[in-house]
Amino acid sequence: MPEGLIAIANALPYMLKGSLVTVGVVIGAMGLGLILGIPLAVGLMFGPGWLRRILSLYVWFFRGVPLLVLLFLFYFGLFALMEINLSAFSAGTIVLGLISSAYQSQIFRGAISSLPQGQLKAARALGMSDSKAIVYIILPQALRLSIPAWSNEYSIILKDSAVTYALGVAEIMARAHFVASRTYQHLPLYLAAGLIYLVLTYMGTRLLRLLEDKVRIPGYSH
Amino acid sequence: MAIIDSSSVLKVENLRKSFGDKEILKGLSLSVRKGEVKVIIGPSGGGKSTLLQCINFLVVPDEGEVWLEGKKISHGKKRELYAYRQQVGMIFQDFNLFDHLNALENVQIGLVRVKKCDKAEARARALAELQRVGLAEHVLQYPAQLSGGQKQRVSIARALAMDPKVMLLDEPTSALDPELIGEVHAVIKDLVANGMTMLMATHQIGFASALADEIIFMEDGYIVEQGPPAKILLQAECARTREFCAKITKISGDS
Amino acid sequence: MEEFAYIQHEVLPSLFQGFWISILLIIPSASAGLLIGILVGALRVYGSGPVSVLANLYVALFRGIPLVVQLFIWYFGLPYFGIYFSPYLASVFGFSLCSGAYHSEYIRGALQSIKKGQMLAAQALGFTKVQMLRSIILPQALRRALPGCGNEIVYLIKYSSLAYMVTCIELTGKGKILASHSFRYTEVFLIVGAFYLALVTVASLLLRHLENRLSLPGFELHKA
Repeated sequence: MPEGLIAIANALPYMLKGSLVTVGVVIGAMGLGLILGIPLAVGLMFGPGWLRRILSLYVWFFRGVPLLVLLFLFYFGLFALMEINLSAFSAGTIVLGLISSAYQSQIFRGAISSLPQGQLKAARALGMSDSKAIVYIILPQALRLSIPAWSNEYSIILKDSAVTYALGVAEIMARAHFVASRTYQHLPLYLAAGLIYLVLTYMGTRLLRLLEDKVRIPGYSH
Repeated sequence: MAIIDSSSVLKVENLRKSFGDKEILKGLSLSVRKGEVKVIIGPSGGGKSTLLQCINFLVVPDEGEVWLEGKKISHGKKRELYAYRQQVGMIFQDFNLFDHLNALENVQIGLVRVKKCDKAEARARALAELQRVGLAEHVLQYPAQLSGGQKQRVSIARALAMDPKVMLLDEPTSALDPELIGEVHAVIKDLVANGMTMLMATHQIGFASALADEIIFMEDGYIVEQGPPAKILLQAECARTREFCAKITKISGDS
Repeated sequence: MEEFAYIQHEVLPSLFQGFWISILLIIPSASAGLLIGILVGALRVYGSGPVSVLANLYVALFRGIPLVVQLFIWYFGLPYFGIYFSPYLASVFGFSLCSGAYHSEYIRGALQSIKKGQMLAAQALGFTKVQMLRSIILPQALRRALPGCGNEIVYLIKYSSLAYMVTCIELTGKGKILASHSFRYTEVFLIVGAFYLALVTVASLLLRHLENRLSLPGFELHKA
């Protein structure tokens, strides 16, 4: 037992540095997911038929193929094929971002369709084009409504980031394993790693709850 | 009965609309001259709402034409359609205020984003309109914090800020509690007194007859009869009109 | 042509072997996970003080810690106590416990959504607790939980690929081995992806079909 605690104490700074890498991956992936997810959602809801079919295919693909398979496919396969030289960190973040965009598009779709039809009608009655109506009326409300689900997406991506270990990204899991295979203190170190993830989850969801409060509209409910 | 009138602000001819295999509008025509107030009455499901929404193409009619100030509107051309809608104000039964904006911003947004006005000018105009409808103290409140009557007044201010040539009102007080109807009626009366051209669908017969230059009785997608309030309500030519008016005057206690 | 021959004679047989292992991972894990979920969900709703606290703790831990970490704990960590799981066993164990936590969330929600008045009526009619569970609660709870639990099983199909991380060679593992020998990562993993896509799509369709078969008019609207 004491060796375990000693091992944790020694490894902690090293592992905490890994959490910076983890946070980097998560922020990058969520950001990419957001940037792609919003247009995806708008395209799926308001776009012409052919566009919707293509976008649905994209969503089906990135939600259906396992993360690990996609990581291997892109990092060892597609990127190499296209002769794009990306670090494991970048590749992992991009793949996670693409997957997240598929899930986030569904979140935003749900939020947009929960808005009463009257909002869009009133915008049109004022003479707004559809694109203006979407940007100024629909999205501000839909994005606010999406924050809880986005918070959930955050905790999922945080956990999925551990899989990037398979590509050699030096995040928390990788570092824990690295130290464990040298000190043989597997159990304490992985428990410590688990604890770090729990703390990161808690901190992230608290932050998002604060965001939700900050942008809340008085009395709003849909 | 197409009224050919060169001084009409709004003219609608032969509107037809079906939803699925149910025909809602069956070849309607009407027109409204400058400063005129025409009120549409009739049983629910008769197509009043659909008619109004077809006029500004929120619902696209299957057939028919719309003219604004003598110019035919081709709704296929997007830019023309948007410009047209800016000149036609619409008041919805459910208010449809933008829930994420406060009253001031609701009135402003059309000016800023659609008419591309200067922000300071837009703000001043919005404040003026809200004052006009009696909501000067509520400008920073959000829709959820306003009563139904207040919400409808904001929506009127929002429409007025766009300087519409004609206003379409789709049962403006049907969703309001009885004690809140008065404040909205007061605002509408004020608009009429200032010369606004209006086409309004309503169940409020007393109010309608006091305000209207003409009452249109619509049922089943047709205009059954139209004429001055006194005539339609008391001495209608069509039996169906007489039947309907007898029932509603009995209910509303008018004589 | 050489491409197709390669695919036919080397890739596919190997992948099918891996696919079979994946199935052997998924089915026990899904079943065990669902059972654990039902048990824990019920404990969280109906359990007395310490029991429900423990149950909630279990769920918080197993939903908060990444699955990879959990697998490593069972495979590399248990030997600390002298317990040695095979890669397969560690995987099934890990998947079941993790999945169970998620299932219990849906079960808990389903149980809580049942209107209390029905239970009062059942009691007034003289139902015993067990009869009430069987005839009133379960038929409703299972329908409510079906979308969530079904979804979780679809997720399980996908993250069964993580068994590779603890050296259990299933579909993904076989793919990695094949690809690293031939350097044809793109082709191999596109095919592996296709396998999973097929599994996931079939599972989703089955789920949708089941939901439709069991649906009752207006049931969704009458929630507590």
